[in-house]
Amino acid sequence: MNEFFRRLRYLLNRRRFDRELAGDLEIHREMAAGEHRHFGHTLQIREEAREAWGWTWIDRLSQDLRYAFRLLRKSPGFTVAAVLILSIGIGVNIAAFGFFNLMVLRPLPVRDPATLVRFQRLSPKGYASVLPYPEMAFFRERTTTLSAVLAFNPSTIRLEQEQRPLKAQFVTANFFTELGATAQLGRLLEPSRDDANGADPVVVLSYALWQSQFGADPSIAGRTIRLNDKPVTVVGVASPEFSGLSLDSQELWLPIAQHPYFVNGSKLLTDYSVEGSGVTVWGRLRPGLTPKAAEGELRSLAAALRAEHPNDIWENESLPGTPGAYATSAINQGHHGTGTKDPNPMIPVAGLAGALVLLILAAACCNLGSLVLARGVARAREIAIRAAIGAGRGRLVRQLFTESLLLGILGSVAGLGLGYVVLRSLMAVSGTPAWMNPAPDWRVIVFAIALGILAAILFGLAPAFQVVRQRNRATLVRQILIGAQVAASCVLLIVAALLVRTLNRASGDPGFAYRQVVSINPSLGEHGYSPAKARAYIDTVESRLRSVPGVDLVSSASTPPLGNKTVTIGLKSAGRLIQIHPNGVEPSYFQTMRIPLLRGRNLMRGDADAVVVSQSLAALGWPGEDPLGKQLDLDDRRFTVVGISANARVAQPEDRDSTEAYFLANAADMPSMVVLVRTSGRPEQLALTLASIAKAADPAIVPDVQLMNASFQQRLRGPQYSALSVSLLAFVALFLACLGIVGLVAYAVSQRTKEIAIRMALGAKPPHVFAIVILQFARPVVVGLLVGLAGAVALSTILRQVLFGTGSLDPVAYLGAIGIFTATVVLASLFPASRALRVDPMRALRND
Amino acid sequence: MPSGALVLLILRVLRSGPLHGYAVAQRIHSLSSEVLRVEEGALYPALQRILLKGWVTAEWGISETNRQVRFYRLTPAGRKQLESELSDYGRVHQAIQAVLRTA
Repeated sequence: MNEFFRRLRYLLNRRRFDRELAGDLEIHREMAAGEHRHFGHTLQIREEAREAWGWTWIDRLSQDLRYAFRLLRKSPGFTVAAVLILSIGIGVNIAAFGFFNLMVLRPLPVRDPATLVRFQRLSPKGYASVLPYPEMAFFRERTTTLSAVLAFNPSTIRLEQEQRPLKAQFVTANFFTELGATAQLGRLLEPSRDDANGADPVVVLSYALWQSQFGADPSIAGRTIRLNDKPVTVVGVASPEFSGLSLDSQELWLPIAQHPYFVNGSKLLTDYSVEGSGVTVWGRLRPGLTPKAAEGELRSLAAALRAEHPNDIWENESLPGTPGAYATSAINQGHHGTGTKDPNPMIPVAGLAGALVLLILAAACCNLGSLVLARGVARAREIAIRAAIGAGRGRLVRQLFTESLLLGILGSVAGLGLGYVVLRSLMAVSGTPAWMNPAPDWRVIVFAIALGILAAILFGLAPAFQVVRQRNRATLVRQILIGAQVAASCVLLIVAALLVRTLNRASGDPGFAYRQVVSINPSLGEHGYSPAKARAYIDTVESRLRSVPGVDLVSSASTPPLGNKTVTIGLKSAGRLIQIHPNGVEPSYFQTMRIPLLRGRNLMRGDADAVVVSQSLAALGWPGEDPLGKQLDLDDRRFTVVGISANARVAQPEDRDSTEAYFLANAADMPSMVVLVRTSGRPEQLALTLASIAKAADPAIVPDVQLMNASFQQRLRGPQYSALSVSLLAFVALFLACLGIVGLVAYAVSQRTKEIAIRMALGAKPPHVFAIVILQFARPVVVGLLVGLAGAVALSTILRQVLFGTGSLDPVAYLGAIGIFTATVVLASLFPASRALRVDPMRALRND
Repeated sequence: MPSGALVLLILRVLRSGPLHGYAVAQRIHSLSSEVLRVEEGALYPALQRILLKGWVTAEWGISETNRQVRFYRLTPAGRKQLESELSDYGRVHQAIQAVLRTA
C-alpha cells in the first residue's frame, strides 16, 4: 500500500480517524494533567494534524459549496438570471462544438471505423475524388495491405411508375458485411451470393423507404419490384441506424456488379475515364498497418496498371488516403480537375464559427461579471466581517470563486440542454440523416464542464479579487466589462451585417437569368452513349423542344449553372495559379442564360479554337492588357480569345471569382451535355411536358429535370442559415450588452443621487444633469466600439475566404452595424438615465 | 526543534517497541535528561505524517492507566528509514564537529 492509497483511506474514513485523533489527544491531556503546564488548543492541534492527510481542501470546498448553494437559493432572481445568461453563452458553444464533434471527431456508426481509409486520386496534373471501377478492381485483386476494398457509385433510379427518382447506391457486395450492418428484415447483400456471376438481381431497401413506399410491409423480403423497368427481388431492409459511408440518406442499395442490368448501356464496370462516373473507394487496413503502407502499395500498383493503360492512369499517380470513417471524409465531393486541389473550405468556416461563438461566451461572461461585482458591492459588509474575524484574503477569494464555479457548472448543465435543442433543431431543418445523433456524448460533456470552469474564471475571478480588496474601484471594472461587451457585440453585429450583405448579393443577380430556365440532364455518359450517338440525342431533343409552344430558347452546356458537378482547370499565368471553370457550350448558350457579351464576338459553329472568357478571367489572365486575340493554352491545346462575357457565378451563387472559359462543345463533351430551356411563361407548367418529350427520345433514359429557380433557392440555403444564425448571435450579444449598460447607468445614477440632487438644487438644467450621467459611460462604450471595429477588421482575413462577392471592408455593412448598435445603446441608456432627471432634490437630500 | 529531527527522534524511541503518543513524548523528554520537551502541537501532526509515509502503524492497546489508546509501532519501512536517517545524521554530525574543532 503506497502513500496515495493511505491518503485515500484517510479521505474515506476521515470521520473515524478524526475521532481517534481526538481520543489520543484527550488521553494525552489526561496523562499530562500532573505536569501543570499549558496544553495547546485541542481543536487547533487536531486541525494541524489533519492537514498532514492532505484533504483539508475537500472539506473547505464542500463547506464553500454548501454555503454558495444556500446563498444562490436565497437570491433566486440573481441565480436564474446568471444561469440563463451563462446557458446562452455556453449553449451556443456547445451546439457549435457538438456539430464539430459530429462532423470531425465522432466516427461513423460502422464496425471498426478507425481502420477504414478513403482513397482519392492525385497526380501532379490533376485530382479526382472517385476512381474508375476497373482501377479499383485491379487494386482489390492485388492488394496485400488492405483486407477489404469497398466501392460505391451514387445514382438515381426509378421505382415502378414513380415520378421522383430514388437515391440509390450501387455498392460492392461486401459493403454491408464490412461495415457491420444489421438487417431490419430479410438479409443484406452478401459477398458469397451477390458477387457471383449470373447472380439474381437484388435490392436492399432503406428503413425510411420501406416505411414510406411499402407501408412497412413485413412480408416485403422476397417480393419482386421494378426498378428502371427491370424486375428485381427485394432481399431485405437495412436497419434505421445504418449510416453507410455517405452523409446524404440513401433510399436503396444495389450490387454494383448489376449496374449494367439496371442502367442501359452502362460502362461503369469497364470505363477508365474520369468524366464517366467513377466509384468512391474505401479500404479496410490489415491489422497493424498504417495508411502510409497502403498508400505506398497502391502507388506502385497504379504504376503497374499504367504500363497497361498509359492513357487512363495518370503519370506519377498516387492515392492519398484519409484515415478513419468520419463524416467529413464521407462527404462526397464530386470534384475532379487539373492543377492542385482547393484547400479545404471547411477550415476557415470552422475557425470563424469558433471565434464567433467564443465572442458570445465572452459577452455573456462580461455581463455576468458585472452582476457578480454588483452583488459583491452589496455584500461588502459580510466580507468585511469575515475579514475582521480572521479570514485570509486567499480564503475569501476562494469562497467567492466557489460561488462562481457553482454558477458555472449550473450554466454548463443548462447550456448542455440548450445546445442539444439548438443542434437538434438545426439538424432537423437542414435535413441531416436520421442516424446522426445530436445527443451529447462524453466529448461534449467534458467540453461543457471545461467551458463552465473557464466561464467561472472569466466572470468570477476578477470580481472576486476586486470585492475582497474592498477597493471602491468597482465602477472602473464595470466600465471595462461594459467596454468588452460592447466590443464583442460590435464584432458579431459587423460579421452578421457582412453575411447579410453577402446573402443579398448572392440572392440578387448571379450574372445569369435563372428564373425561367429548366435544365434537363439525361446523363448520357452513364448510359454508355458514344459522342456521336450523344450528339444525335441532344440534337433530337433540342429540335423537339424548340417546337413546344411556350419555349423561347433551347441550348446545352457541359457544365450548366447550378449543376451537380464542378470542373476546374488550374492555369499558371504570370506566376500565379488561376482556377478556371471550363464549359463546353453551344453558341445559343449566352442568349439562353442571358449572359451579356461585353466585347468581341460570340462563338460560332466550327469555332474549334476559339474561347470566350469572363470579365474576371480576362482581368486575372491579362492584367492591364487587351485580352482579345490573346492565346490561352489549356490541356495541351491553344485557344484564341474571341470575346469577353460578363461574369456569371455558375458554380455557387456566393462564388468570389467567376473565372469562366466557354468553348464550343466538342465531341468529348457530348455525353455530359445538359439541355437548357428558356420558357416565355412560368416554367413550372411546362416542366412535365418537357420531361416527357425528353424521355421520348430514348425510353431507356429518365432525364433529371430541374427548375433552375428551385436549384438556385436550394444553393442559397447555406448562406441563409449562416446569416440567420450569426444575426441571432449578434442580437443576443447586443441584448446582453444593453442589459449591462442599463445596469451600469442605473447603478451610476443610484450612486450619485445625492450629487445630482445638490446640482439640481443649485440650479443645474436637465440637459446638464443628463450629460453628467451619460458621459460617465460614454467612454467605455466608445472604447469598446473602437476595439470591436479593430477586431472585426482583424477577423476579415478569415472572412475574406468565406464572404465571396462582398469585400470584407464593405462600408455599408460596417456603417449599418454601427448604426444599429448606437441606436440600441442610446435607447437602452435613456431609460435609466431619465431616472436621474426625476430625482427630487428635497427627498434625496433629506434621506441622509 | 526542527521537524526532521523530531521525526528521527520519534522513529528512534519507537525502535525498542510500540508506544502511545504520550509515552513517545515522555520517553524523548526523559532520555534527553529533561532537555527536550515535545509539544502536542508538534507531536501529533508529525505522527500523522509518519503514519501516512507508512513508517509506523497504529494499533489499539491498553494504557498503563487502563484506557483504550493507540500504540504506534515501527514498520520495516520505518526501520529502514530510521537506519538511513541515522547514518545521514551521523555523517553530518561528524562533519559539523570537524568544522567546529578545527576552525
